[in-house]
Amino acid sequence: MRLKDQFQFVRQNMKKNRTRLFMTILATAMSVAFLIVLASVGFGLHKSIVKETLERRIVTEIEVPGKEDENGGYKQLTDEDIAYFEKIIDVKAVTRRKSLQEYLFVTGNHEVFAQAVVAHMPSETKAGLELSKGRLPKAENEVVVGYHFVEELHPKDAKDDLYDERGQIKDEYRYKEDLIGQKISMNVIKLEEGKEVKEPIEVTVVGIRKQPTKEWNYDNIVFVSEGVLKQVEDFTGTPRGILKDSNNPDVEVPNIAADQYDQVKVYAKDMESVKNITNELEANNYPSYSVINELKDVNMMFTIVKTGLIFIGTIAILIASIGIYNTMTMAVTERAPDIGIMKAIGANPRTIKKIFLLESSYIGLIGATIGTLVAYGISFIVNFGLPLIIKQAFGEEPPEELTFSYIPITLPIISFLICYIVTILSGLRPAQRATKVDVLQAMRREV
Amino acid sequence: MITIKDISHEFEIGKKGNKTIIPVLKNVSFEVNKGEIVTIVGRSGSGKSTLLNLVSGFIRPKKGEIIINGVAISTMNESKFADFRIEHLGFIFQSFQLIPSMTAYQNVELPLILKGVKENERKHRTNEILQMVGLYDYKDHYPGELSGGQQQRVSIARALIVNPPIILADEPTGSLDSETEEDLLNFIITLNKELGITFLIITHDEKVSQIGHRTIELRDGRVLEEAYAYEA
Repeated sequence: MRLKDQFQFVRQNMKKNRTRLFMTILATAMSVAFLIVLASVGFGLHKSIVKETLERRIVTEIEVPGKEDENGGYKQLTDEDIAYFEKIIDVKAVTRRKSLQEYLFVTGNHEVFAQAVVAHMPSETKAGLELSKGRLPKAENEVVVGYHFVEELHPKDAKDDLYDERGQIKDEYRYKEDLIGQKISMNVIKLEEGKEVKEPIEVTVVGIRKQPTKEWNYDNIVFVSEGVLKQVEDFTGTPRGILKDSNNPDVEVPNIAADQYDQVKVYAKDMESVKNITNELEANNYPSYSVINELKDVNMMFTIVKTGLIFIGTIAILIASIGIYNTMTMAVTERAPDIGIMKAIGANPRTIKKIFLLESSYIGLIGATIGTLVAYGISFIVNFGLPLIIKQAFGEEPPEELTFSYIPITLPIISFLICYIVTILSGLRPAQRATKVDVLQAMRREV
Repeated sequence: MITIKDISHEFEIGKKGNKTIIPVLKNVSFEVNKGEIVTIVGRSGSGKSTLLNLVSGFIRPKKGEIIINGVAISTMNESKFADFRIEHLGFIFQSFQLIPSMTAYQNVELPLILKGVKENERKHRTNEILQMVGLYDYKDHYPGELSGGQQQRVSIARALIVNPPIILADEPTGSLDSETEEDLLNFIITLNKELGITFLIITHDEKVSQIGHRTIELRDGRVLEEAYAYEA
């Protein structure tokens, strides 16, 4: 019997009890929709977290906090380590920063608190540093400020109503002039007999960094030179301008070497190289932290979650398969006389079995198709409606990137496969029974 | 064409531990030659239907051998015999055994579908055979919409559609009135003469037994006598 005719036959048979067929397909569709929607929550959260992680950080960035020593402790990284990192294959740049304190920067009538950091400009540029205005520093007292540095500059005599309802400085208090080329004072502080002593170091703003891509990313750091750092250390008498209170001798100022860095980041040429670089770093006792590492853990966790959700959804399909089994068993019983006639005129038992298996898989596939379409509909409604409900009910807006339900193409494929296997299994026994129909009994003949 | 060799068959009645064995056929042997119409007659319970069911392969003999066209069917598995049956045997049943949810056309076409014949060829042959049995105008009728004689003609058309060399008929006129019976018997004779189809017919109707070249009478599961209508 040709496959086309088998399909034709199955379609004809299925028309015989439309209500029962409808209910069976409905149960299958509901179970498949349940599986997909349930698992789509796992997929949606996974996608949101991956997206958020990738947007928050640069994929090729590897943070190296220090080096493990023989005693299991940590050692800050120095020029020697940096030189080694730069030699690793596929490393594009190695940025290193020395953090100073947070100082009050003053220009004319405006001021702002910001952290000063000594950055290695050539490597920062290689790693992708971009300016929105100005140029990179050339002289010792030239600085580059973060985008929000300008935004946060406010009048010294600002009143309590400095900020608007969004937490931003009101327009009338903002610094309106061009900051490029402006001289600003960096007020360095030291403690003498418990009293603050200020020393303004004059620096010139030559560049303003680009606005961070993410709204919540705040950048008001001031990149200063090694020369400025030296001026700070000369004034405070402590490394990195750490405040030393002579009235409190118990608090020791840490011994920080001049070539010691507080923040080192290795940038790989591309995403594929990150793993190799990370492996090499870790093999040489440099613990590292990258988005790829973070995602590896996230992916593992979500794989477990998604598998669990698919498993729970499969239980629903298994329950629906009872309906398919019942429908097929009834169909075999009802059609026993027809089966008997077909066998009598020469139908091969294999063909009969195939027809019934085809019928059960047909039910499964129609159910899976409807279920998948319904699941896409529910997913759309959930993604569209849930943020509105949350906003209405709790007065809070969920994060922009949050996807409550996401259905990747793999999910319907998995659901179809599960549904197909389950329906084939549930149709197997009735199909087997159909082949065993006794011709004489089915035709109610006397023997 | 058909060789029945020393066939014995019995039925077991009752449950395990309390079974009664009822012998139905006892060492039955005879042959049906190509192009012959052989009728098997006998009283109720003589074993004639069992004999036909054995030849049809619906049941397996406990003893003996059945050879059709040189092939021993009693040892064939069900799947192989199904393929053999559709090629070599056509069936006419007393109660027609048409599928009620199928039209006359679909019922006749069914063996070709099972055989895997292409749609165009099927259409041609089905229409042709329906013309032949005079039911072309009724092809879209369901069995319930046809008379007994018409249903039997559909049944014959279904049996003929695969051009089987042998047709097995079980009380073919049992559900027909005398006029229709006459028509059907004439049709069988025509088929036998024109197409050379061999018929093995089970009947208790004297009229039917008279169309046979040979009549075999069964009594208590044994061949009582063989009578020739004329020398073949």
